[in-house]
Parts: sequence; C-alpha cells; structure tokens
Amino acid sequence: MEKSKLFEKISGSLIEMEEDKVVELCKKSLELNIPVYETITSGLIAGMDEVGRLYEEEEYFLPEVLICSDAMKAGLDVVKPYLKADDMGKPIKVVIGVVEGDTHDIGKNLVGIMMETSGIEVYDLGRDVPLDKFVKKAEEVEADIIGMSTLMTTTMDGMRTVIEKLEAENIRNKYKVLIGGGPISQKFADMIGADLYTKDANSAVREIKKIVWG
Amino acid sequence: MERRADLLTPKERVGAFLSGEAVDRIITMPIVTANTVHLIGKTVKEFQLDGEVMAKAHMAAFEKFGYDLVYLFTNCSYVAEAMGQKLVYSIDEPANCDDPIIKSRADLDKVKVATKDDGQLPVYYDALEILNQELADQVFLSVCFSGPLTTAATLRGTERFVRDTYKDPDLCHKLLRLATDSCKNFIKEIVSYEAMPIILEPIASGSLFSPKMFKEFAFPYNKELVDLAHELGALIPFHICGKTHKIVDLMADTGADVISIDQCDLEIAREKVGGRAVVLGNINPADELLFGPVERIYKVCKEAIDKMEGYTPGFFLSTGCETSNEVPMEHIEAFMDAARSYGTYDY
Repeated sequence: MEKSKLFEKISGSLIEMEEDKVVELCKKSLELNIPVYETITSGLIAGMDEVGRLYEEEEYFLPEVLICSDAMKAGLDVVKPYLKADDMGKPIKVVIGVVEGDTHDIGKNLVGIMMETSGIEVYDLGRDVPLDKFVKKAEEVEADIIGMSTLMTTTMDGMRTVIEKLEAENIRNKYKVLIGGGPISQKFADMIGADLYTKDANSAVREIKKIVWG
Repeated sequence: MERRADLLTPKERVGAFLSGEAVDRIITMPIVTANTVHLIGKTVKEFQLDGEVMAKAHMAAFEKFGYDLVYLFTNCSYVAEAMGQKLVYSIDEPANCDDPIIKSRADLDKVKVATKDDGQLPVYYDALEILNQELADQVFLSVCFSGPLTTAATLRGTERFVRDTYKDPDLCHKLLRLATDSCKNFIKEIVSYEAMPIILEPIASGSLFSPKMFKEFAFPYNKELVDLAHELGALIPFHICGKTHKIVDLMADTGADVISIDQCDLEIAREKVGGRAVVLGNINPADELLFGPVERIYKVCKEAIDKMEGYTPGFFLSTGCETSNEVPMEHIEAFMDAARSYGTYDY
C-alpha cells in the first residue's frame, strides 16, 4: 500500500472512531517500515486535526472527541516504541490545570487531549491546583505556556494571582498565559493581562501554535 | 432612566400573566440561590443543610430585591446524593461530588431510586414549610434540581459517562432510569408543597453533547418529568446552562412550559420556541452581572427586553445561570431596576 493512502486510512478510521482499525493500520505501517514520525504526523495527528475542526464547527462534541482521542492514543501506543528520540523536533511545552478551589475539569481535560494529540507536550497538574504550583512546574519543565481553567466565578481571580506571581518573580516574559472556562471572557483576559483566551479547545491549540511559532 | 414602582405583587403579576391579563412590568427573576445566605450572615454550607437557614436567606433576599420567583437550589449533585452518592461540603461553596460512586457496572447496586426523605431532600421541605407561611401570599416558590442526565453523570463521573454514551450506552440508560425515577419522586414532593419544580440539566448542554446524543440520552427522560409535572397540574421550566442554540427546539419538544437558556441567542430561541413556551434568560452572570458597571447591566437588560418584545407566550428576564457569591448585590438590584424601567412595554 502506498504511504499516503495508508495515512489517509489512519486519519479516516480515527475520525470514524474505529479504534481497532487505527491499531491495525498502525501495525501495518510498522511492517511497511514507514518512518514512525510520518505515521504520527500525517496519519494520527492529521486525523485529530480534522476531529478538532469538526468539534469547532459543532459537528463533533465531547463524546466523539474523547472516543477519537482514545483511538489516537491506541495507535500511538503501537508506533511510539519505534520512534527515534529527536525525530519529532522540539515540542511546545504547556503546563495546564484547574485553578485552586475548583474541581470542574472536563474543559481542561479536553484542552489537554487536544494539545497532546496535536503533538504538544502537556504537563497536567489536575484540578484544584494550588496557584504556586503553576509557576513552579512551568519553571521546572521550562514550559512555553501556562494554561489555567475554571468553571466558577468564585475562583477566576486565582488566574490573576498567578500572573501577579510571575510578575513578582520577574519571569512574566518567559511564558504566555492562556486562560479559559465557562465564565472566562476576552474581557476578563484583558483585565488580568492574560496573553490568550479562546472559546474552545481546538482554537486554543491553534492559537498556541500561532503565538509560540509566530 | 425612570424606575417605576411595582403596582402588583410578584404573585399577582405572575397570576395575571398566567391568566392572560395585563401585567405592570416584565416578569423578572434573576437566578438568586445560595448567595442569599450572605444577607443573613450564614454560610453556604449551612444553607445547604438547614431548611430554616435556607428559608430565612430567601426571605431576606426577596425583601431586598422583590423579584418574581423564589428559586430554591443548593447544588447540582443533591439528587445523586439522595441516591447514595457522597458529596464534599466546604464552608462557602456548593457541595460537589469528588469521587463518583459508580466505578463499574458492579457498583450499580450501591445506588437506589431516591425517595422522599433521602439525602438532604428534607432540607427543602423544611424551607418550603416556612416559606409557605411567610412568603407564599406574595410570591410563587420553586425548587430547582438536577435532571436525569446530570444526576447520572454525577454518579458515574462526567467524563466516564460521556465515554459510556459510545462504549456502554446500556449502563447510561440504567443510571438514567434510576435517576429519572428519583427525580419523579422528588417532583411529587415539591408539587405537594405547591412549589414549582425546575429541571436543571447542565451536563445535557450543547457545550458537551450533540443534538443526536441529546435526543437519545436527555430527551426521553426529561419528557417523562415534564409529563409527570403536567399530570400533577404543575408548570415546569427546563433550564440548561452553557450552549443550547442547537437543542433549544428539542428542549421545547419536551413540553416544558418555560425554556430557560444561557448561551443561546434570544433571536434563535424566539424563532425555535415561539408559540410553544415562555423563554427565560439570559443575562450573563459571569460577565455583565459580575463586573458591572450598572450602566452596562441596564444596557444588556434593555437589549434583551427589546429583542423579545411581542414574543408569545412571553419572555421573562433572568440570568443565564445562577448568580454566584461573587456577584455584587448592587448588580442584582440594578438588574431589577432595569426591568422596572424598561420592562413595562406599553402598559
């Protein structure tokens, strides 16, 4: 089978939520000695890009995205052991979490999935994350982006606090700050001086690539 | 801005509306719930666990704002709690579910259909009893509770539930059945206190599920609740926060009497629900109402009122979702003032 045909089939099966097929096709790519990074970028990530687009256009919703990302991860598990260390280039690194006081993490998880499946390296701090931890982790892993989420108006101000901490430590310029969640708006992002607000997970991924890669 | 004094009591106003008579201003009810407790110097935790605190908080808030519906609500998980789910109560936040009880199918026997006195449901009866004595001559009372899908997702964990809609839909339906029967039992109690049941289904929102999934996992169960309320002679609103522009017509198909919306353009609601149900909404409690200033609140309220002028069977001015602890009380007053100034139409 031609390489491009196989990639198309991988993307197609992924979009159709056919996990078994994705796994089978990824095995096939190994048998054919296709470079793993190509299978990942042109097959799996390309498929998830389309899933992201369908999500943004409200053709796909949370269940579909989750099932597709499961299929993607299953495919990834097949090929990743054969990936050479520096094949994929230097990834964007993002630290994400739900701010302290809030345990609603569906939105954050969705953003995390979309990021991971587009090749971004995600450090997920989970939910109800102490505000200091965002800064600490970002420093530790040399992240490009700090992403914070909340569904509650009562915890929104934690995002401002994190930005103030970055300023206090004179490291504000090292990071782009992304915020999102139900009550968050562009207005709020402007108020607290966040670099980026997006309405949904897929545009978050797109905009991040824009601001990091220019 | 001319702020006209109310001529009718909220009860007279809603009564007049229901019997097709003229009203003095638009029916207005910001979703004011547990935040009322700060007016009496108690905590949200006390509000959720003590019916007397709940009643006194609402009496204070009603006196302050004079809105048209008293909206009893504690948290999104209390029906699940009554079915066997443990919740975490912190001092000044709504209780939440940290550790969903249904880890697998085998856990199904850990939950049951909630009946009258399970969990914290009796807190509501205590509050309703007091409010029926103290306020019911002036204003209608309501109780808002999480509907079947939200309750089932709470028991299972939302993300697992969402995956199950593809991987194990049968488990979803089993949980939905139990949750529906629990809601039905509670609706009977609410109606027995002459309060209005309000269904809340945040997890059924178009921010999470497609219209197709809504049809399969939310619609039939919510329709059952609406049918029951109607059999009992009660009106029943249906509230979904988040996006609803693609499901607002399906919400109306349940037969609910009031479609209560958050992120849905009023013009879309007007077109898709028109002639079938009252539309209630949808000032953003996390933007205008939270940040103000009051002039901006007046402006968005006026815009909503203007957009819905002449809508039948009627438009009620409200918030798109609950007003949180952080919303300043003056902003809620400004919201009411906007209705008293702009919401008089031709009257």
